[in-house]
Amino acid sequence: MSELRAVRNLRICSKDCLCLFVCPTGAADTETGQIDFEKCIGCGACSKACPSGAISMVPYKYPKQQEKDNEVTERLKKIISSKVEQEQIAKYIYENGADKEKLLAKIIMKSNRLIAEDLYREAGYMLPQSNNTKKFLEDLLEKDKTNKEDIEKLLKLLDFN
Amino acid sequence: MKKYICPICGYVYDEEKEGVKFEDLPNDWKCPLCGAPKSLFKAEAVEVIIEEDEEELREMNYGEVSALCSSLASSCEKQYLEEEAKLFKKLADYYNSKSKLKGNFEDLINKINKDLDLNYKKAREIATEKKDRGALRVITWGEKVTMILKSLINEDIPTDKKIYVCEVCGFVYIGDEKPDICPVCKVPNFKLVEVVR
Repeated sequence: MSELRAVRNLRICSKDCLCLFVCPTGAADTETGQIDFEKCIGCGACSKACPSGAISMVPYKYPKQQEKDNEVTERLKKIISSKVEQEQIAKYIYENGADKEKLLAKIIMKSNRLIAEDLYREAGYMLPQSNNTKKFLEDLLEKDKTNKEDIEKLLKLLDFN
Repeated sequence: MKKYICPICGYVYDEEKEGVKFEDLPNDWKCPLCGAPKSLFKAEAVEVIIEEDEEELREMNYGEVSALCSSLASSCEKQYLEEEAKLFKKLADYYNSKSKLKGNFEDLINKINKDLDLNYKKAREIATEKKDRGALRVITWGEKVTMILKSLINEDIPTDKKIYVCEVCGFVYIGDEKPDICPVCKVPNFKLVEVVR
């Protein structure tokens, strides 16, 4: 199997369709607008031909997650805890507060979630294929019987490195 | 004559050039570049030292599991891993619904102040010492957005303006038209998504 596959950034694609002319397998021509990953052989011809730079070649296999200093991740996790608490308090206000408080609560909820997500990326969970993610899912599986199937599926689908 | 700097986008208000003292500007004056309120501008950094309480290592709570799952969902999306993204999103929603925490705006302000006065400062110290530029990036963006959130709690949101949230860093912009790029993380403005009232 090829190490790369072509993906199309639909926001940039200007439908000049040069990719369709150069693709040797027809993988670039689909009803959804995305490349047919099963047909793509990773040759990169479409990416080179695209006049808008809308097609990039992404790897199947990702490199190992970069090592993070433990002290740094502990510090980031402290902020994460606080941001998650703020999000959850805002959620409570949004669901139970007065009408005039709802909008502000909604904004705070949304913003804090985004901050927390970003912090997790720098706290050792950048890559879904990393060992940290694997360990997280395995630990979760031990405690969570309700979502057993989904967690197991994720552990199977992700190509851990 | 002093200079006052916008902590969000770096805009400099130079009293000498403007001919108006910063303190004489009206209270509803906003940063002409990013809309940050006057109250956020700083003449110079003031060091505040706060003792932190020791916390023990503990397991992740429901809210944290949810945030990590939605973070991983978005990373899967970026890699065009649709099925994996959907599964992480489902887990994120499940754990979000299980998380029950009560509080009010005062609690929020207290937590925000602790973040700004202590958590972000300490994290910045360590990240600088360890030369972790990625951590410094997330600290810089998050700190700025936290300041904006604090200012929002302290003032009324005008009813005639639109509200946008940056889907990358969480920055909140209130105004008629969104800026070309997010003033915090510099992403093009299609990532600034309107929050419907």
